[in-house]
Amino acid sequence: MSKVAPQKDRAQVEEVVDEASGKVCLAPCQIACPLGMDVQRSHARIALLPPDAKEANRQIIEIGDELYVKNPMFPICGYICGLCEKECNFKDQTGAIRRRMLLRFLADYYLPYLETKPALASPTKEKVAIVGGGPAGLMCAYTLSKRGYKVTILERDSRLGGALWYIPRYRLPSKVVDTTLNNLVRIASMEVRLGVSMGDGGKTLDDLKKEGYRAVFIATGTLIPRPLSIEGKLVAGADLEGVRFGLNLLFDVNQGKVSPQLFKGNKVIVVGGGNVAFDVARTARRLGGDVSLVCLENEDKSSKDGIPADVEEIEGGGEEGIKITYSRGVEEIIGEGGKFKKIKCPRCVSVFDEKGLFNPKFDYSDAIYLEGDVLLITIGQAPERAFYQQEGLLDEKGRLDLDQLTLMSNLKEGVFVGGDVRRVGFAAEAMRDGMNAAESIDRYLKGENLKSGREKGYEVAPIPKRGSYKPQPELIWAPVQERLNFEPFEKGYTLEQAVEEAKRCLYCGPCKSCKACVALELQSEIPEIEFDKDLCISCGNCAFYCPYGAVKLDSPGGVSVDVAFCKACGLCVAKCPALAIELEHWEKERISALVSQLVAEMKPPKILVFRCLWAVCPPQDGELAPNVGAIDLPCAARVDSLHILEAFQKGVDGVLVVACPEEDCHRGSGSREAQRLVAKLKERLDQIGFEERLHFCTVSRRNPEQLDEELRQFGQRIEAIGSKKEKK
Amino acid sequence: MITTSLKPLDEILDSVCPYHKVLIAGCDGCTQPPRGLREARTLSQLLELAGRLKDKDMEFKVTTVVKQCDSFLNASALKPQMDGVEAVLSLACGAGPQIIAELFPDIPVLPAQNTHFIGAEDREGGILEANCSACGDCLLALTGGICPVTRCAKGLLNGACGGARNGKCELDPEKDCAWELIFQRLERLGKLDRIKELRPPRDYQAKAWRLTP
Repeated sequence: MSKVAPQKDRAQVEEVVDEASGKVCLAPCQIACPLGMDVQRSHARIALLPPDAKEANRQIIEIGDELYVKNPMFPICGYICGLCEKECNFKDQTGAIRRRMLLRFLADYYLPYLETKPALASPTKEKVAIVGGGPAGLMCAYTLSKRGYKVTILERDSRLGGALWYIPRYRLPSKVVDTTLNNLVRIASMEVRLGVSMGDGGKTLDDLKKEGYRAVFIATGTLIPRPLSIEGKLVAGADLEGVRFGLNLLFDVNQGKVSPQLFKGNKVIVVGGGNVAFDVARTARRLGGDVSLVCLENEDKSSKDGIPADVEEIEGGGEEGIKITYSRGVEEIIGEGGKFKKIKCPRCVSVFDEKGLFNPKFDYSDAIYLEGDVLLITIGQAPERAFYQQEGLLDEKGRLDLDQLTLMSNLKEGVFVGGDVRRVGFAAEAMRDGMNAAESIDRYLKGENLKSGREKGYEVAPIPKRGSYKPQPELIWAPVQERLNFEPFEKGYTLEQAVEEAKRCLYCGPCKSCKACVALELQSEIPEIEFDKDLCISCGNCAFYCPYGAVKLDSPGGVSVDVAFCKACGLCVAKCPALAIELEHWEKERISALVSQLVAEMKPPKILVFRCLWAVCPPQDGELAPNVGAIDLPCAARVDSLHILEAFQKGVDGVLVVACPEEDCHRGSGSREAQRLVAKLKERLDQIGFEERLHFCTVSRRNPEQLDEELRQFGQRIEAIGSKKEKK
Repeated sequence: MITTSLKPLDEILDSVCPYHKVLIAGCDGCTQPPRGLREARTLSQLLELAGRLKDKDMEFKVTTVVKQCDSFLNASALKPQMDGVEAVLSLACGAGPQIIAELFPDIPVLPAQNTHFIGAEDREGGILEANCSACGDCLLALTGGICPVTRCAKGLLNGACGGARNGKCELDPEKDCAWELIFQRLERLGKLDRIKELRPPRDYQAKAWRLTP
């Protein structure tokens, strides 16, 4: 059983905690997101966007505003992240939900609005200094500013963004970064001081203290490219003309310091197998080079020594003509007349040792030579340590001495360190450090315990069952001949595509961790299931039919439902032969009363519609004809044969059951089960001459005309049969 | 459990037609699928609608019994409901109506179900399958948990008849040959030698009609 901590605003997400394990139940994507973004909620909201473009636009801004609260850099994530997709429960079915593309879709609508987004209240609390204006620093500054602290960012470069400026523009357009960051600075009232260096003659932490800063977060990143080495020794020849670090090239290109055809007519060799190496290779290709890439790792990504770069990078690079030489190291860089000529590459027989440590082994008897004009080394990067040494933040082994939970230095109070300098990772991971440091700084300045309640365990809900699984849509890239420039080549989603993709989401997380339906006022709260143990006959139907594994059969003779997993579809209610289950707000008595009320109001021929509230758009309510009454259900699964028969008994001439198309069913099996129920009931009604008066249809929320058409046709049919015999 | 199916509605309607006030009694016991309160109420609604079309004004009361085959439980559940009731329509297996008839000798009892066999429901496939013939001489221990008396069309006790094709019965190609299944199961259990044990003809006298529990 699980409990939830209620929120003040009923539309806000709630934390669902498993009482037995003490762990937080969430969808796996949300656990995978370093920032814990509300992935499911925004998918549900995208899936429910109305067909009206203006209203859809308004809702997209609303979704963006919700995401912005936690992550003001989500537009950037929409272009470069996608860590959540790696854990998506759909990945083993037909491929993960394309969350990154959905986030980018939101970003593309949201960015123009961002210019007009109102600023947060001006901060009034203590001053905090942030050293480094990359993703970690910016996130820390934003989170602190949101909590009322005055923040100052000290950035050594001439602009904010840090490592974001190493990402090629064809992946992350400048406009996205500029709009996101400029507005972030404005919205969060950050003071930004550019061109300020720390250490080595620049400012010291003592200087900052004297200037009145009560805490400091340092996130200076890793800007030193790692040099080539073999067997622990630096590879000779790195100083030859034509040899340079890939990272520096990326930075220079983004600064506009490089001529567009820099490598025209050149053979370029890139060393490295990570995503950054591919960024460098594809950048060099766009600068006119004939590019090949050499890496230690092998081709088989699933093996222990497989190439670490993403499949999309390898495929995209391949399309652009980048040749890859796998399983080769670099033993020697050979020049001629001071210029780079070739590299000697022994075969790499193993990259990681039995302990899983990076410890490459070579077969030197099997070496090849690769010739080229330019060598770009991209095998990782390291932080610049001098400042940390100078400030006494390193231990005797030269490592950062930090508390890994609070990110506070163990050696200097009030000094917090995070981002790539702590551990090289993805942008979102650096942002998480910034967010965590801000939480620590807030507690530190309030004199609170830095650690209590912060170490959370997570667990995922059982994977919801679906009748069918729609295939993952392909990414759409511009053809190669149009792609070899720095314009983004990946095509974003249209409104229709985004809705279709979001509808694939299984909504794995607990309802209360999402509450999109409440935010959209589809229902006033997540209803609860109630069992009457006196009526229960322990037949097990509820447990068998529950698409979410939420109902457990307890012995002796009883059932229990876990609120963490129950999605309140009502299928168990409709399937219970003992009438022992009720769904809050959709109790049998309440629906009965509604049937009576509608029958009294309707004009003949009376048509009663039981419809899934996910299948219809709310504005339609007012447009029903006077002979039509509608009862909205939480899911077609809640359609109950008792209520259909009751409607006939009370004088309704026709009953129409409206569900979502099976593949769109929000609940997985609701639409299918409703169809079965209607088919079975029709068999029985057929025996007493009522079969024609009951009809099942599916309509999509995005095509309101479908329902009108179904109603028109059904209405004609009922009229043709004539009004039903009234009870005497 | 006992598997049943609802009789055709017009047959039920004909049987209840002579009465004005009918009690529909569900059974929560072993009938599968369960014929409890929901089924009782559904049936009352269907009959009321059907009766209306025939200008018959009937009143139905619904109730359910934990197990209609238990006369004590049946009496406790039904007695308080019998006021003014002219007939009882039972949703139980064949045992239920007989118990009710004994309990209320002056009131006609009508069955709403046809009773089929002892078996199980495959909920996924929505199919009921026979597993047991209540022969009174269980030999499942020797046959790997598969009953040849019920599942072999010829009720053979000592191995397959030889008529099966591709594992299907020669009398019903939809049906698996029970003896082939028994062979496979025993092989899997490493107890294939059991198939050599000769089984004498069935003792039909073992089919009891009255037992002391």
